Amino acid sequence: MPLLPDFRRIENFLYREARLMDENAYEEWLSLWASENICYWVPTSENETDPGQQISIIYDDRKRLEGRIKRLASGYAFAQDPKSRMRRVISSIEINEAADGTFTTWSNFALGEFRRGKQDIFIGRTMHQLRPEGDSFKILLKKVLLINSDGYIDNLTFLL
Amino acid sequence: MMTRRKIDYRSLIKRDRIHASLYTDPDILADEFDKLFSRGWVYVGHVGEIPNPGDFRLKKIGRQPVIMVRDENDDVRLLLNRCRHRGSTVCQLEAGNAKTFRCAYHGWTYRNSGELAGVPYQEGYGGSLRKEDLGLVPVPRMELYRGFIFGSLSPAGITLDDHLGAPAKQQIDLFVDLSPEGEIKVQAGIHKFDYPANWKFQLENAMDGYHPNFTHQSFLDMIQEQIGVRPDVFNGNSSGESRDLGNGHVMLDYRRYNREYAERIRSVLPTTPADEDYRGRMIARYGVERTAEILNAGGTHALIFPNLILIGVQIRVPQPRAVDHTEVTLYPTTLKGVSAELNSARLRGHEAFFGPAGMGQPDDVEMFARMQQGIQADIEPWILISRGIHREHRDDDGTLVAHATDEVTLRGIWSHYLKVMSSNTAASRISHAQSRRNPEAAIRRSAAEPGR
Repeated sequence: MPLLPDFRRIENFLYREARLMDENAYEEWLSLWASENICYWVPTSENETDPGQQISIIYDDRKRLEGRIKRLASGYAFAQDPKSRMRRVISSIEINEAADGTFTTWSNFALGEFRRGKQDIFIGRTMHQLRPEGDSFKILLKKVLLINSDGYIDNLTFLL
Repeated sequence: MMTRRKIDYRSLIKRDRIHASLYTDPDILADEFDKLFSRGWVYVGHVGEIPNPGDFRLKKIGRQPVIMVRDENDDVRLLLNRCRHRGSTVCQLEAGNAKTFRCAYHGWTYRNSGELAGVPYQEGYGGSLRKEDLGLVPVPRMELYRGFIFGSLSPAGITLDDHLGAPAKQQIDLFVDLSPEGEIKVQAGIHKFDYPANWKFQLENAMDGYHPNFTHQSFLDMIQEQIGVRPDVFNGNSSGESRDLGNGHVMLDYRRYNREYAERIRSVLPTTPADEDYRGRMIARYGVERTAEILNAGGTHALIFPNLILIGVQIRVPQPRAVDHTEVTLYPTTLKGVSAELNSARLRGHEAFFGPAGMGQPDDVEMFARMQQGIQADIEPWILISRGIHREHRDDDGTLVAHATDEVTLRGIWSHYLKVMSSNTAASRISHAQSRRNPEAAIRRSAAEPGR
């Protein structure tokens, strides 16, 4: 693979991550994450700043994320039986490099999800904190701000 | 009032089975709004959601939009969210703090106590508009128990105390008394989910100890892998119980199981200094014996009929939107007088299972959708609620008890439902409300040209 500038490599990484989520490639998606000290966070509100004392939709450390993935892959997670069929568009990517060599990216997504005869649309903004590793990256932190995070949602058991 | 065909509930609800139309007939939902949600006590919210003067949160009692607010004098009030002029909602924000509610349409302004404070160009009413008769309409009755606020759209009826009864009050006590100050906080955010099925599936499922080992197999597998022990309170041979507390209130009762397995669980879960500190504070408030009782129960798992579900750390409220559409709101609670560490653990524990991305509850929701689909096959309309009917028995405290996996809870819900839905209280809530407040007279008095 030719050496791409950081921006293109990060963009590629986000697209790849999106495709793995779309295709319910649970284990492969999990392999994009760092092996410890990670946080997968979907708050109930954009203004939520204190997950320690506030409930989130998802606030997973590595152990809970592993449990989540194992459950989804077990064949007994009935909320994903049948599985969601999805495609999402990632756009408006902004990248900032921190002094410690990690990258913080913000991007928007539009996700179409089809399941049990009903198509839903989810729109949101995602923050990734990425650490370079080899010729790719590992996810340290991922925060997903759904525009309907404080609305009534029937099923968010697919990957965001 | 619109007249509807009269429904013979006795033909739909038998002791051991119920008819599918109870979940599919829109007339029955309309009837539920008129009876279940209008005559008796309905749970509205908790004082912990509105701790300061001016705090409000929008709620519903059946179809009625309600503002639950703490006014300037620190009094909790339930006010209908409807301008007395032209009927617009006067409060749009889901929650917040406000001294006044102002209708944007023509500028009528109400104090947070409900009083009508200002009417623009009031002289246009010819000097006869009586503001004191045109405040936001209060919910006719409101009563509280341990900070839980209940409302009734009917000005007459049994007291909240009689509606709850001692056994249900004891369960609310166990939920709240986990706090060494005897108070919960309801400020930790909200989970919301909806589903394409009838609201009563949520009531039943929450009190169904037969389903977890199957619907939640994948969650239990995960727990087993992560902590090394599989929760088995829902096994066919467990010592867990299910209980009918009367008046439609029912519960899954883990206390006997917990007593037997306390040692086993303690050996798995680490005891931190924070735990020890908590235990010390509990004993200081409640004494050794009651503390042991509270900690053994670990909260409760109960339905307060018709719409308050207490499970683990959460207050859960189902709200029918249509006969096949339900919104459910979950308020995870934290405990006053408890370390941030323990409260945080409460929230993380809740989050694992509940919410639209939880690892348990969405599987329940999937079952509701499947049931709503399945019961369209109604040439054989009956749904069974007979499990354990041969082994339920009256306990010393008068409650009806059976095995954890038994459906004594569902029978408790449905027998009370039948009682409420087949009763024929002559006066409707609307005629009650009119006779009490006489708004027609107020409007006549304030109209520029009376006598229409």
